[in-house]
Amino acid sequence: MKAIIDFVNRFGTSLELDESLIVEKQGRFFLLNPKLKKSVSKDFFYAGTYLGKVKREVFFPSFNLLTMIAQKREANKTMIDDRTEWLFIVGRDIFKQGIIEVTGSRKKGAHTLVVNQHNECLGFGRILNDLGEKFNMRQVVVKNISDIGDFLRRERPLKD
Amino acid sequence: MSSKQFFLDRYSRLGWKYKLAKLKQAIRINTNNAEEADIIRRLESRRIKLEPIPFVPHAYWICESPFSVGATTEYLLGYYSIQEAAAQIPATLFTDPQGKMVLDACAAPGGKTVQLADSMHNTGVIIALDIDKRRLTALSNHLERCHVTNAIVYHMDARNASQLKIKFDRILLDAPCSGNFAADKEWFNRRTIEDVQRNARLQKEIIAEAAKVLKDDGEIVYSTCTLEPEENELNIDWAIKHLHLQTESIDGYGEEAVTNVFGKRLDDSVANCRRIWPSETQGFFVCRLKKRGSVR
Repeated sequence: MKAIIDFVNRFGTSLELDESLIVEKQGRFFLLNPKLKKSVSKDFFYAGTYLGKVKREVFFPSFNLLTMIAQKREANKTMIDDRTEWLFIVGRDIFKQGIIEVTGSRKKGAHTLVVNQHNECLGFGRILNDLGEKFNMRQVVVKNISDIGDFLRRERPLKD
Repeated sequence: MSSKQFFLDRYSRLGWKYKLAKLKQAIRINTNNAEEADIIRRLESRRIKLEPIPFVPHAYWICESPFSVGATTEYLLGYYSIQEAAAQIPATLFTDPQGKMVLDACAAPGGKTVQLADSMHNTGVIIALDIDKRRLTALSNHLERCHVTNAIVYHMDARNASQLKIKFDRILLDAPCSGNFAADKEWFNRRTIEDVQRNARLQKEIIAEAAKVLKDDGEIVYSTCTLEPEENELNIDWAIKHLHLQTESIDGYGEEAVTNVFGKRLDDSVANCRRIWPSETQGFFVCRLKKRGSVR
């Protein structure tokens, strides 16, 4: 639970999560609703809303959790243009010229959610240089840490 | 006689003349996550041409796309799923699934689980089972991508569902099957009648377990993507006679199932099931079952 709280705090915000509804299974955390909580048994594989996993003491968030954080108005966010959106979801970093707007921290080292022009969360990254400074437009300013293209990279699709 | 000729003769005796199917890729909008009209507009702005599929809600054929529809932002955000058109039918056949306790007995890779969650508006509980652990990962990724919040997944053989000690209002039994030639170019070279008979036995065991965990007023939707009557009409005829189940009439795509299989006369109510011969869709079979005497 602490891993989740610490991770959320990196974006300059917090989430109210009911700890009694969070279950852990082999380092993976899931948020249940009361009805699921009543029905679940301990040998489940996946349940409710997947929040993320801890591996070698590092927390890897799910995209559900990132979406929940992105709903907080004050959270650090970097809005990018359409072309940059396409590049970001194939794993690329963000150049200054692709940024439309920054909300929250602009400081070097800060974590920022990356959102498109529909305000939809595409992943998150780390600010490499203070965004308030002047830079070359072709300079990488946000390092891609995780993006939704990961769903494609995780596996080859199986037929239904 | 070649394997292909053997199976084509069987289809002919069931009343269908072989023709090559032209399958079209299909998607289904996850209306829990997005406004349908908005997603259609966004996809069209990406030069993806869509056509509504008349027999399933929120479903579209992909008529033209300059790139894979599995690589758009909208797909990755879970706004739609790629799901073969006939495979979208079973989850639409439950009456009033919202708030119910639902079993998806053979769930991976999860297209129908997501569809169920969408039709339930993430209310109630879906218990999703699959025997193949590798496919559970695919199922979990699908649930995460599509923001499903009401499912619990177990690594479990559907034949052991009673170990959960839960009675279900709705059971989706999309049974493991022999598949069909329209979805697999090598099908005729791969399949034998022994495969069909083995799958039919497995399916009977799963149907029997499903009947055990079904509430008295519950519903089972049984489906396969095979054309072989042993896995379809003959299994349902067996379920009617041995499990106190009855079929219910369902409207929609496809035709009445056959009640005379290679000279064997089946219960007349098997005709309530739908048989879909390949054309725009793959081959498919679907029916809705209830306990005999249950009150609707």
